[in-house]
Amino acid sequence: MDSKSRLAGNAPEKILSKIPGARPEDRIDAWWGLFFAVVGLVLVLVLFWPDPYRRILNFVADGILITVVVTVVSFVLVVVVGLLGGLARTARNRYLRSFISLYVEIIRGIPLLVQLIFWYYALPPAIQGLGNLLSIVALQNFAPDPVIMAIVGLTIGYGAYMTEVVRAGIQSVPKGQVEAARSLGLTYRMAMQHVVLPQAFRTILPAIGNEFITLLKDSSLVSVVAVADLTRRGREFMSMTFIPFQTWILVALLYLILTLFSARVVSWLEKKAQVGR
Amino acid sequence: MEPIIRIENIHKYFGEVHALRGVSLDIQPGEVVIVIGPSGSGKSTLLRCINRLEEYDQGEITVDGIPLDTAANINAVRTEVGMVFQQFNLFSHMTVLANINLAQRLIRKRTREECTRISMELLERVGIPEKAQSYPIQLSGGQQQRVAIARALAMNPKIMLFDEPTSALDPEMIKEVLDVMLDLAKEGMTMVVVSHEMGFARAAAHRVILMAEGEIVEQGSPDQVFEHPRHERTKLFLSHIL
Repeated sequence: MDSKSRLAGNAPEKILSKIPGARPEDRIDAWWGLFFAVVGLVLVLVLFWPDPYRRILNFVADGILITVVVTVVSFVLVVVVGLLGGLARTARNRYLRSFISLYVEIIRGIPLLVQLIFWYYALPPAIQGLGNLLSIVALQNFAPDPVIMAIVGLTIGYGAYMTEVVRAGIQSVPKGQVEAARSLGLTYRMAMQHVVLPQAFRTILPAIGNEFITLLKDSSLVSVVAVADLTRRGREFMSMTFIPFQTWILVALLYLILTLFSARVVSWLEKKAQVGR
Repeated sequence: MEPIIRIENIHKYFGEVHALRGVSLDIQPGEVVIVIGPSGSGKSTLLRCINRLEEYDQGEITVDGIPLDTAANINAVRTEVGMVFQQFNLFSHMTVLANINLAQRLIRKRTREECTRISMELLERVGIPEKAQSYPIQLSGGQQQRVAIARALAMNPKIMLFDEPTSALDPEMIKEVLDVMLDLAKEGMTMVVVSHEMGFARAAAHRVILMAEGEIVEQGSPDQVFEHPRHERTKLFLSHIL
């Protein structure tokens, strides 16, 4: 069976074509439609009302880039942390399991904004103080880049959530799959790599996609810790010009473009991953 | 002749439950052994101890001269012992061909071409070469189980373990799986089969073993055990399944 007939069941094409949105390709078009509608709206605003929309866009453009970079880099690291954490969380070693559980429980219990503020405002003075105490020059001059500290903060914070997602995925793979792999002589590592993780990944792909979109939105919190992202640039523009309404309408629409686009990519990946289900 | 499987005084506990109570059993090369018994008698547990999918608390098992002690030895044994499960356990994210190729490539280090050639021969042998590119979910239970057998055979095992291979199948699919197993038995494969298929036992088994409450109650040729059981426990069990 190809993917199309599986999604649509066995209903004949003739009938499906009469029901709006019943064919998989129609559904794809509908949601891409919303994405293009928002893009179109932004274009219209910028082209026909250059004042203030083009001014706002020009001003926040570098913020869009920062938001995307911070989100994407953090996300890649979050996936790595989540993968390692998830594996550790399901490992045989009790101490490793407990250690990762401790990390997850602590991080999940502290607001992300508080964590970000801690990494940027509280950690560097502490390290400098330690440097003074031990007379280590490298530590005394510790003055981290805000973008790097923001990425560290988001990675540690979201890594905890991703660890739980990966753990759930690994545990969702039936035990018989591992037994079959091990009975063929595959090592634990091989069984994980070739059998368990691919199946776990397929199961948790929607959750991973969801984490990405949530991370994209939560990246606006880094505006508080000196990162010139989209939100911070919006705030700067507002305080310069006192046109809050148009500024935040445009910032919101720009975020919406990013999230809608991400959601479409995730949905496309999910369809591709459904093979063999 | 040296037994190919030597099981000595195996004990296994599941918490408080004493699942295997000192089972000893020698199996000769080329022998086909059928293990029967009521559910909870420990027959599947015993089978799973042979490739150490189940850890045991006491006793020793030696397979083809290799004791099941270190991780390396356990893995060495597993590459020589094929296992077929009640629930097939095909890798659901892979095609039939990829299922059969995987361990050949990773463990036997065969080239992709060689893997595929061997896999196609085996699919030919179990009668479904046309399903090579299908995914497990697209196959019937009987077809899935035949692929599972082919997957195990691709490692050129010296021993095949079958854990209730037909119990999850619709009646009309049982025969196609038993036929494949019967062919294997005729070719001289050492087989340990947990199954209640009397027809298969009569046709293929050299020895039938009845287990109850974690112990071997009776063993002998199919004719002996089925027609002239000596123990009351055996008679009781046979009266339920015949």
